[in-house]
Amino acid sequence: MATKTLVFPGDIISPEVLPIPTNPSLPLKLGPGLRHVPPSTITSTLAGPLCIDRKKNAIWVENNTGRYIPQPNDLIIATVHHSSTDIYHCSITPHTAFAQLPQLAFEGATKKTRPQLNSGSLIYARILSASKHTDPEIVCYNPSTGKSEGMGELKGGMLFDISMAMARRLLMHKQKADGGIALLEEIGGKVAFEIAVGRNGKVWVKSGGVNETLLVGRALQETDTQGLGIEEQVKVVRRLMRQV
Amino acid sequence: MADVTLSPLHRADGSATFTSNGYSVVAAVNGPIEVQRRDELPEEAAIDVAIRPAAGVGGVRERHLESILQSTLRHVILVSAHPRTLIQVTLQIISSTEGSFNVGDLPQATSNLPILPALLQASILALLSTSIPLSMTLTATLVAVDGQRLKSDPSAEELKVASSIHVFAFSSHGNLLVVESEGEFGIETWEEAYQNARLACRGDEENDSESEDVSMDSDNDTKLEDVLRIAVRQKVAREQKWKLDLRSATT
Amino acid sequence: MPREAEPSINERAFILEALQENIRLDGRPLDAFRELHIAFGEEYGVADVQLGKTRVLCRISASIASPYPDRKFDGIFTITTELSPLASPAFEVGRQSDLETHLSRVLETTLRRSQALSTESLCLIAGQKVWSLRADIHILSHFGNLIDTSCIAALAALRHCRIPDTSIKGGVLIVYTPLERDPVPLALLHHPLCITLNYFESGEKMLVDATLQEQQCSEGEIVVSANPQGEVCLVQKGGGGEVDALVLLRGIGLAVGKVREVGKVIDRVLEEDAKRRDKGGVVSRELRAENER
Repeated sequence: MATKTLVFPGDIISPEVLPIPTNPSLPLKLGPGLRHVPPSTITSTLAGPLCIDRKKNAIWVENNTGRYIPQPNDLIIATVHHSSTDIYHCSITPHTAFAQLPQLAFEGATKKTRPQLNSGSLIYARILSASKHTDPEIVCYNPSTGKSEGMGELKGGMLFDISMAMARRLLMHKQKADGGIALLEEIGGKVAFEIAVGRNGKVWVKSGGVNETLLVGRALQETDTQGLGIEEQVKVVRRLMRQV
Repeated sequence: MADVTLSPLHRADGSATFTSNGYSVVAAVNGPIEVQRRDELPEEAAIDVAIRPAAGVGGVRERHLESILQSTLRHVILVSAHPRTLIQVTLQIISSTEGSFNVGDLPQATSNLPILPALLQASILALLSTSIPLSMTLTATLVAVDGQRLKSDPSAEELKVASSIHVFAFSSHGNLLVVESEGEFGIETWEEAYQNARLACRGDEENDSESEDVSMDSDNDTKLEDVLRIAVRQKVAREQKWKLDLRSATT
Repeated sequence: MPREAEPSINERAFILEALQENIRLDGRPLDAFRELHIAFGEEYGVADVQLGKTRVLCRISASIASPYPDRKFDGIFTITTELSPLASPAFEVGRQSDLETHLSRVLETTLRRSQALSTESLCLIAGQKVWSLRADIHILSHFGNLIDTSCIAALAALRHCRIPDTSIKGGVLIVYTPLERDPVPLALLHHPLCITLNYFESGEKMLVDATLQEQQCSEGEIVVSANPQGEVCLVQKGGGGEVDALVLLRGIGLAVGKVREVGKVIDRVLEEDAKRRDKGGVVSRELRAENER
């Protein structure tokens, strides 16, 4: 596979680079990092590799650094900051506007039985809506099915920071094949743990003891900061397990 | 020639250091973040630039440079993408050609301009290391004129004897973003300085954008735009390293 | 006004639970510093210190000024610390936060009021001309323990600094350029450093060089400034949970040990820098003599 073209802000995307869609009736979708300048120019707004998806007929610029910008449908880990009538105000990233979490947006919640979240609680939620003009709205259940699907309050455990690229890799369907993550499988063979990954660069880990939780967290962080490949990840896990 | 590091600071959303010609600047960008009510703009992101000098607290010089930077960055950053937020740019001058020992020279006697190209470059690089959308990138350089001789990247001594000094910043589309000149000069001198700067930044003469063959008698053959691109390329290569490992593991 | 984000309930509980087993998040012993890197600039008097991910730059600059009228025989030494958004988005330009006041006061007491730098030695012509020295501390990255890192940066920069040599001929002050006469080091009477101790479990557990998270979860903080000779310049406990007096004494003992450790690191880096600059070996002999004093 050829190396991707590197684009810079202001670069015009020439028609040759656009994907040949497998379904010609699909309109071209512009993802993050690209801007349409009428009538028919597409320019890049970020610096990074240009990615294309022929199946969805989409192009975008991959960008791994900077602050997380809330996008609808993303799964994130947020911290409850305070509550007002009927709404929890949660922080997805520090120093930005709070996201609104309706107090009834949980599985099986009614006016009489709703979860009581304190200031500082961690929650796993999905972004319902986010636009540049409004504060993001998040929910801890799937509105169409009413099920929590793993979302809700995260109790115990520990939070670790990871880069957004790492979060994206962990959230891929085929974690090992597409994301190159082998360490979770490796650790899972010996240690039991629970994990929740937020696209905003946060990972929640819960395991039997402090050492086990730290093992998972450190393995993730080392893989992230050093860009470790599959073999190296296995080595790191083995080294960390010996120390425990 | 110029030394660039991307993302050296870990608390800031984006950062970069730029060292060239005796000046070293580290820039940090935070944003888009919450803005104070009084600074809030309904349709755009507010941009705040703060420059901290190497020694002492900032004064008029820093405020002057901040205003040039602020008005330039407003055109480079796509402010409509993040209304009612703040994009905070902070620049710390690590070292400059002004010595640490002021015995004699009054600090006001020197010009504000020589550090401007480094400040502009550092801010652009820091912005490139965040996910803030930009409509263009820029390159900037300083040209000193001494009688008939033009000098790019002049040293402190050359600046002292220059009859005029000029700062030019070019956008990635080839247009001029910043022009600041000081001293005595005629329009022909300015034109020559402009061509000289264009060569240093973009490697082409005004009407000759196809030219591959650039003859320069200075020892720095890498044009500034290339320096920018190489730095970003290296950053992307580091981030994509795991993909290469994956590819080689599965083949 | 932006404020540093508080850790979540989960993080706080985990850090406390881990400490009950004497475990820190990065695996360090309770009394260990993070990796310490000290680098000097090309010019004298600039020190770039990294303690883990916390990074502080200190620059010493000097000019000749008139002394304060009530201090005719003393030079002027000012230390400025301004926290900027570079270090953390929680810091605002132009607004002095509590942390800044705290940092500024501790450094003032440790380096200035303890006469680490002899202000008398900065006097050139009594009542007329003195050296006015400035230590500008730039915090580049805040990952906890700004006080210790800033003090290391300031002391390293002061020890590294060279000011122009001077002489007085017939009542006229002559300042020599580096080409005429080699610049001279500053007269430092002793080398104090700060050690911040964050305590947990009413002082049972004391952490040296806490990260930002550890600092936020701690019950309180004790700052001890001392020199390698074991002389204490400052003990500060500003609020926080109550501790037994013996805990305080234990903390001071711990801090003095750490000051000696870090002092040795600074000695080593200064020696290496001197060797690098002066291949002849003259300067490194001088430094060794200074250490033995």
